[in-house]
Amino acid sequence: MAVLLPTALLVLWEICSRFAVVPPRYFPPPTTVGWVLVDRVVAGDLGAQSLVTLARLGSAFAIAALPGVLLGLLMGVARPLRDAVEPYIAFIFPVPKITLLPFLLIILGVGEPAFVLTGATSAFFQIVISTLGGVQTMDPRLLEVGRNYGARGARLFWKIILPAALPSIFTGLRLGLGLALVALVAVEFIAAKSGLGHLVYRHWQMLSTPEMYAAFALVGALGLLLTRGLRALQARVLAWQEEVGSL
Amino acid sequence: MRALGRWLTEHWIAVGSPLLLLVAWEWASATGLLREAFFPRPSTIAAHLRQLAADGTLWGHTAMTLIRIGWAFALAAVLGVSVGLAMGLWRRLRDGLDPVFAVIYPIPSVLFLPFVSFLVPPGEIALVVTTAVTSFFLIAFTTTQGVRQIDRLVVEAAVHYGARGWRLFATVLIVVVAVEIVAASRGLGALLWLSWQILKIEDMYATFFVIAFLGALLSYGLAAFRARLLPWIQDVAEP
Amino acid sequence: MSTRPPKVVVSEVSVTFESHGRSVLALDRISLQAHAGEFLCIVGPSGSGKSTLLRVVAGLLRQSAGAVRIEADRPGTPLTAMVFQEHALLPWRTVRDNVTFGLENRGVPRAERDARAREMLAMVGLTRFARHYPHQLSGGMKQRVGIARALANDPEVLLMDEPLAALDAQTRTIMQEELLRIWATLGKTVVYVTHSLEEALLLGDRIVLLGSPAYGALLEKIWSQLREEVVRAMAEDRRGERA
Repeated sequence: MAVLLPTALLVLWEICSRFAVVPPRYFPPPTTVGWVLVDRVVAGDLGAQSLVTLARLGSAFAIAALPGVLLGLLMGVARPLRDAVEPYIAFIFPVPKITLLPFLLIILGVGEPAFVLTGATSAFFQIVISTLGGVQTMDPRLLEVGRNYGARGARLFWKIILPAALPSIFTGLRLGLGLALVALVAVEFIAAKSGLGHLVYRHWQMLSTPEMYAAFALVGALGLLLTRGLRALQARVLAWQEEVGSL
Repeated sequence: MRALGRWLTEHWIAVGSPLLLLVAWEWASATGLLREAFFPRPSTIAAHLRQLAADGTLWGHTAMTLIRIGWAFALAAVLGVSVGLAMGLWRRLRDGLDPVFAVIYPIPSVLFLPFVSFLVPPGEIALVVTTAVTSFFLIAFTTTQGVRQIDRLVVEAAVHYGARGWRLFATVLIVVVAVEIVAASRGLGALLWLSWQILKIEDMYATFFVIAFLGALLSYGLAAFRARLLPWIQDVAEP
Repeated sequence: MSTRPPKVVVSEVSVTFESHGRSVLALDRISLQAHAGEFLCIVGPSGSGKSTLLRVVAGLLRQSAGAVRIEADRPGTPLTAMVFQEHALLPWRTVRDNVTFGLENRGVPRAERDARAREMLAMVGLTRFARHYPHQLSGGMKQRVGIARALANDPEVLLMDEPLAALDAQTRTIMQEELLRIWATLGKTVVYVTHSLEEALLLGDRIVLLGSPAYGALLEKIWSQLREEVVRAMAEDRRGERA
């Protein structure tokens, strides 16, 4: 069924498009899109632009990951720090980080730093929150085990707290990556001159719709691959964890 | 009153540090430590906010935002709940649509603008529909989870819950609503600044704070509402 | 009556919890002793503070008043090791590494750690599972690892917090026998907390009842009824013999 229904939908679309039930200008048949996709990825700009987007994603994630995990962990173990920082995190987290873009564009100018930073902040808050959650929701008896069996202070941290929080940290990193990608593609659409998001925009403006849909599909595929891939990785690495969440 | 006093003493850091930060920011901008062109003083921002409020622009835009959210949400909710329900109840449908959702999920709402522009005249309607699209997916997904949870509960305690089936259903709906208003405002915020003309930077900061404040208000308000009304239901789903 | 020296001495221990400005008295001037090599059971209903008491003895909780003294015959070995309800094993470590956890923290070299682990796992019958992870084991097996972990540390006193409560009845019976066997072999001082009087009667050398006066009265009633029945049975036996 997972294969059947989407295929059926695509076939439906194909038919509607070929027989002009819907204007083919705006809704080109999937086969055309498919061709363009393969052609452009291999020989043309789709491949290159994907790499641009991925590169930005990599940078954004690299910037956000370590500080995010660190802050989350510190907030988890140091109550005063948590009290001080939590209001900011809670305040900013629900705000779509893309609203930061105009500020960053003015301060940093239109360019890579502003784009990457927007992606990074999207990931950062998620990572902090997930990490903090991991520390706070760990089984408190594991802490008792640690203390009863001679682990204090730093040793308690490395041997008990960190491993116990690791599943949540991993989940946070995974979700953060997804959020960063969403933010980056949106930024590319709006403000950049390269990358998959921008391609969608450009082809939209030029009404070269097959290319537009191809880029669009690629964004979705990229996101899907990353999240599913990371989820599989998480299941592997954290084999001792019984269940990895959905999404 | 005493409760407030006690809360303050417990949370003095949480209350104090933002205040401290604002004071520091004010000082830094005023003395030129921070470029005032990029980081205007909080007092200036506040003044602008006040002015925007006074001459009606603030209310105008806020009202527009809220109306947009309202429409987008209504649209997304009706469609989303229907699809979500269907998916929750029929395994095969869910299996079939899951991959579609999975591919759509990582796509930012702005990217749907082209599609929407093909279907609908540009302007207000386009914005509303675009927001509705992302909200739709989120609502559908959450509703699906919610329905599946009900299914499980009903199966586990059939007699007990039989009579309350409708109440559970309504409960899930409320939860979904709560999640989705937040999601809708999220999507809209992204589009909001797109539609604005370029403003002075103080106005931008002011806008940012208003959006953030609205968002926070909605999130907390709904979380509290939910906790009050439905203390016994665990988190149905996380978007 | 026991002529063994006291091993654990609890004197007038009280524990008060503060929560949202209200104080809750969890333990009120409790005094008791566990003698060397004795299997002491502390019985009480939920909320009677027995787990709290155990944690005070373990040093995991600070008492608000009173003192706890544990006679240390062998300096350098840990005073207590606790076996938790629902095992509380570290899920990211193998069975063997769980067992050696305490030793690791005390800086015991690897070779010695592994040797002890082998010994303990053999004692609880889990040699084959040294490389497994906790989530691959059944409830009973996990608890045996918990016991092995505590024993590996060679503590002065073994503390057990309702270790068998989460197991099904059959597993529990098996484990109770196991515990008695291990205890008989090693001769450790055990302080065992449970809510089941039946279990306490089975396992314990001595029983301490913790709880409200009403609870105590109820247990006394059960105890005297039991005693009556035993006396009656013995009398019947004698009559049978004479006849």
